Amino acid sequence: MRAFRLAWISVVRQPARSGLGILGVAAVGALLFDMLLLSHGLVLSFRDLLNEGGFDARVLATDMVPFDGPRLAHASRLAAQIAALPEVAAVQQVRVVDAELAGASDPSGHEGLTHTAGMSGRDGATHDDRVQFVGNDMRVRPLWTVVEGRDVESAAAEPTVVVNRRLARALGASPGSRVALRGRCGDAADALPPVTFVVSGIADFPFDAATDNSAGGTIESAARLCGGEDVDRADMLLVRSRDEAGPGAAVAAIRRLRPDLHVVTNEQMVAQFSRVEFSYFREISSVLATVTLFFGFLLIAVLLTVSVNQHLGEIATLRAVGLSRGRVVSGILWESVLLVGTGGILAVPVGLVLSVWLDRILRGMPGIPSGLHFFVFEPRALGLYAVLLAVASIGAAAYPMRIVAALPIAGTLRREVVS
Amino acid sequence: MRLPFRTGCAAATIAAAASLLAVAARASAVRVAEESPPAILISRQLAERRHLHAGDAVRLGSDPSGRGARPFRIAGIYEPTPDPMHFAQAPLEARLHLPDLLALTGASAHADGPDAVTSINVALIDPAGAGEFAREVSRRLPGSLARPTSAPDQRTRTFVVIERFHLAIAVVTVLGSAVFLLALMVMLVDERRATVGILRLMGFTRGRILTQVVAEGAVIAVVGAAGGILFALVTEGIFNRFFQWRYDTTLVFLRVTPSVVWRSLAIAVPLGIAASFVASWTLLRRQLLALIRR
Repeated sequence: MRAFRLAWISVVRQPARSGLGILGVAAVGALLFDMLLLSHGLVLSFRDLLNEGGFDARVLATDMVPFDGPRLAHASRLAAQIAALPEVAAVQQVRVVDAELAGASDPSGHEGLTHTAGMSGRDGATHDDRVQFVGNDMRVRPLWTVVEGRDVESAAAEPTVVVNRRLARALGASPGSRVALRGRCGDAADALPPVTFVVSGIADFPFDAATDNSAGGTIESAARLCGGEDVDRADMLLVRSRDEAGPGAAVAAIRRLRPDLHVVTNEQMVAQFSRVEFSYFREISSVLATVTLFFGFLLIAVLLTVSVNQHLGEIATLRAVGLSRGRVVSGILWESVLLVGTGGILAVPVGLVLSVWLDRILRGMPGIPSGLHFFVFEPRALGLYAVLLAVASIGAAAYPMRIVAALPIAGTLRREVVS
Repeated sequence: MRLPFRTGCAAATIAAAASLLAVAARASAVRVAEESPPAILISRQLAERRHLHAGDAVRLGSDPSGRGARPFRIAGIYEPTPDPMHFAQAPLEARLHLPDLLALTGASAHADGPDAVTSINVALIDPAGAGEFAREVSRRLPGSLARPTSAPDQRTRTFVVIERFHLAIAVVTVLGSAVFLLALMVMLVDERRATVGILRLMGFTRGRILTQVVAEGAVIAVVGAAGGILFALVTEGIFNRFFQWRYDTTLVFLRVTPSVVWRSLAIAVPLGIAASFVASWTLLRRQLLALIRR
């Protein structure tokens, strides 16, 4: 306790130095904390996003990134075969088609289907007329969450769709409105006739980017947008395993059934993205975390060393009046712990605020789903942060501790008197 | 206006690269019996991953099952132009002559028939007229999309965001450095308290002492900034080599440009001078007796 008190007196006695040291550690610590959040944030966020849909495995034609590779042929038959497996609870077919708006009308139909290319929306802004149409099997839980109106009806007289809030706002659309979409499939995009849909509801799509216009409907509607070509093809099958079997067993069963297909669990997909797509942010966060940690170490080491060198006379006096070497040395260590600890604690709220700002910057990248975050808090990051700071504070105190431990008492006192 | 189209093999291979990625990755290095099959080029990464060499025969097909695959001969291995948007993914690519590609993909990939390509690259005699040329093409060929290669798009937007992120990190680092520098200067100036007191007793004005300390701070700042730039120049190659090895690419990740050097100097030197000034002023504004008191 005496060593701690000695350190406390030393910190309080030099408020400017201590205050600036703590501030410096807070700034560096905040950056270090953020880099630790970034190192694993995308993976955690992506995992949450994948699990949100309630499916835990995916079936693709090849190992290419979903929607970049070839489609699955005879998708409905394949889905039925997989759904019949005892390890599988449900199978959802997904087909995503690029489309463009060919017209829209209000629920009364008074405005007719007006052309909307490069449309100027009712919110006053100019909007892109590209629409991402997500088709899926309406007998299984769809990939969107309806927030207004009703879900898509497979058996309706006219094909129905749900649209995302952005598209609804731009068109001034509400349930009952009509929207005409023209598929952009292959090279015959301009030759395809537009398909008119009744908007049954407004929905949130989990993988929507902030600038995406999205619509959701049946998988048959998706094929119809492409002029009826490539019927019964899907980009991907989403599989929900039975609780008692688990995703691993479901994937193994599907692989036995169709060894030619690429089947992955959500965890395997997260691991693949972590290894390839997200690796840049992991690497850059490692580099920046190392640099900031080194910087923090340097900051405290220099402050303590200069401080010790300035007070060698006082330290020698304390030793001369009976304070043991061990106590004086541990006083230096405590001083380092006090500076780094206080700065480190201050850094956590600063880092959290900073991470919101940095996250907002990075989410400005095109195509990033609104639900995806780069900086995600997890207790592991906080634990690692505390360990790294503890190591830095001990490391920073090492050299000044050595100076104090090797201090010749008589010689130092003599030099002080002479000077 | 002359429209010198550069079509044919180059455009076709660019268009083909993406669609054949998966197919090429599945190419098997089997010697085929046919005489002189068509020649293709494959990327270095694909060659290394599949242990392929120039002269080997492979089968490529557009169906993942391998149905309808055709034999080709690897005429050479090339280093692909690095794509910053996909640097984390190994470019497993094959380049084919346009007729071979169209024969391979057939009508399944082209609803317009076999004579269809994804894009046509155009080299203009006067590159400055790219914008006008693109507008003219769009006007004359409704339904086509023509745009200059330098036009901002989603790809450039990504890098604008990354640059903004790195700038934000740099701002926080500079703030931390500023505090560090200030703490250090306060301690160094405090160490000279007695010296400053004696100078004041000898008749040196506060302004003169301040000028001297600020000049010293400026020298330290310039030397420090130069050291930092030198460190960046030395480590530039190390960083690039590490990331190039990590991602198996020839992309340059870090480049110390004159603009970066000047920006660093513009921030570091005034910051150093300001820290010297603030630290000195806190000392100089004290009473003379307080300075010489021991």
